[in-house]
Amino acid sequence: MKKAMMTLMMAAAAATLLAGCSSSEGGNAAGTTAAASADTAAGAAEGSYTIGIGQYAAHGSLDNCREGFLEGLAEEGFVEGENLTVLYENAQADGSIASQIATNFASQKVDLLCGIATPMAQSAYGVGRRNDIPVIYTAVTDPVAAELANADGTPVGEVTGTSDKLPVEEQLEMIRAILPDAKTIGILYTTSEVNSISTIEEYKAAAPDYGFEIVETGISTTADVPLAADALLGQVDCLSNLTDNTVVASLPVILDKANALGIPVFGSEIEQVRIGCVASMGLDYIELGRQTGRMAAAILSGEKKASEMNYEIIEEASFYGNTAAAEALGITLPEELTASAAELFTEIAAE
Amino acid sequence: MTQLIGILEEGFIYAIMALGVYITYKILDFPDLSVDSTFPMGAAITASAILAGMNPVLTLFLSFAAGALAGCVTGLIHVKLKVRDLLSGIIVMTALYSINLRIAGGRANVPIFSQQTIFENGFLDARIPSALAPYTIVIILFLITLVCKVLLDLYLKTRSGYLLRAVGDNEVLVTSLAKDKGLVKIVGLAIANGFAALAGCIYCQQKGFFEISVGTGTMVIGLANVIIGIQLLKRFSFIRSTTAVIVGSIVYKACVSLAITHGMTFGLEANDLKLITAVLFLLILVISRDRRKKVKAHA
Repeated sequence: MKKAMMTLMMAAAAATLLAGCSSSEGGNAAGTTAAASADTAAGAAEGSYTIGIGQYAAHGSLDNCREGFLEGLAEEGFVEGENLTVLYENAQADGSIASQIATNFASQKVDLLCGIATPMAQSAYGVGRRNDIPVIYTAVTDPVAAELANADGTPVGEVTGTSDKLPVEEQLEMIRAILPDAKTIGILYTTSEVNSISTIEEYKAAAPDYGFEIVETGISTTADVPLAADALLGQVDCLSNLTDNTVVASLPVILDKANALGIPVFGSEIEQVRIGCVASMGLDYIELGRQTGRMAAAILSGEKKASEMNYEIIEEASFYGNTAAAEALGITLPEELTASAAELFTEIAAE
Repeated sequence: MTQLIGILEEGFIYAIMALGVYITYKILDFPDLSVDSTFPMGAAITASAILAGMNPVLTLFLSFAAGALAGCVTGLIHVKLKVRDLLSGIIVMTALYSINLRIAGGRANVPIFSQQTIFENGFLDARIPSALAPYTIVIILFLITLVCKVLLDLYLKTRSGYLLRAVGDNEVLVTSLAKDKGLVKIVGLAIANGFAALAGCIYCQQKGFFEISVGTGTMVIGLANVIIGIQLLKRFSFIRSTTAVIVGSIVYKACVSLAITHGMTFGLEANDLKLITAVLFLLILVISRDRRKKVKAHA
């Protein structure tokens, strides 16, 4: 029995060691071929680089950010599998895992840390500043409140990135155009998400200008969503979503309840409209990721330091509409909006 | 090397919390869920106090005191209001979620990157030789954890400490000694939650920010640390349980770290992280269980 146990432990240890070796060999091999191809091809980036991408949670918007980020890097000549090794981990919305992921990336001597969503970005910066690794972030709504940037937009250290601040005014204007008679807008948000709290403040400040009143309901976990949605839907003419991670993840439940009552739900970005929100003036997270990727490329190539770049936001909000969702509620999307739409969905995608 | 340091740093922070869980779960046999909220409470208090200009070292004591107070509440609800153990923890955990948000000034995320902490301050910068600089954090954490462990060991040898152990083993005995077993439980819960809040305080200072979600799953981590440590070091009877808990905590974080580093190599995805961690725990527990079986067979 004792022998059996020892064998098992040895096997486990050996497996770990082997795994360690194979991963570093893989990395080196990729590195050398990458260097070769970079010389022959564009030659934009010499040598090989390793970056660690930590994503706070798994949902459509953040996944799009990551996809866009890699595209942005590729545009500038940093191609995954050629001259770029990408380590990717998902914290699954667990704060303690987020910081451990960042620590692990640092121990693997990455050239750049990328944090997607606020808690991950802070964890990455917490580790990066102690190990002299530049940090780039995306999908952080308020980098100033998160102490990743100073009030004037300059970075607090070797850290910069992009913000996914919502175009609140444009969203309110759009809702007014689609629902001329609506008076109240309901917003569901998670009390633990700073992004949501600061956006709600903006909504409240801007709403009177468009003749709206904001009714908000805070939840603390996914399990609260159905009850909170029921309570909120009884008091409002429509719902508008934020980029709240918990609420967005439960969107199908909310849509189901809202549709049953004939109350339109407005999204905050393309993925939400795809799965059945009526419309949204929102960000294209792939584009946001791409912009971040280009900034990362500038840091990797040594063209600029992270501390020399202010954080960026996407200036233009685009219109996304779902004609099928609108028809189901007996709403017609105004011509002037659909004409300039970035994308119009004609069916509700099953998630 | 950096990975090892990272594991030790995380392991020590959670070991302090696990010492608390050791008191409630192993000694008192009380499944205390309030640690899920006293851990972030320590972090919230620390972030707010440091921003208000308090000395970072003092926040350690303040957090412990606040955690102990919350532990008392759990104990009072259980002992005086006769609410079941698990439920009293849940009640306090739920209530503290809102209270924590209030402590943090209504914000779910409070960064203190630019502030002085126990790990980064003028006092240390002037005294730590540059060769040791990368290890400053891990050394400080080791010292704090050691102090906590030694204090707990000493406490468990006092009169009150013996009563604490007696309540877990045999409540009737304590009553027959004309001691109030309820009071002993409250004291145990207070110490346990004090440790959890202290761990939260240190966590916040090391990471540089408070985030309301850090507490989720704290009790589960604590339980895993206690069980892994005690199972793993069972055969070495000269090792104290408190030491075993600290070892367990480091082993736990090593498992998570291995899962993060090597998960992808086995063709697994980032999303499989928790599954890998779970499999590693199971492996450890199965290995140490075999050992116990063997002893029984021979006995």
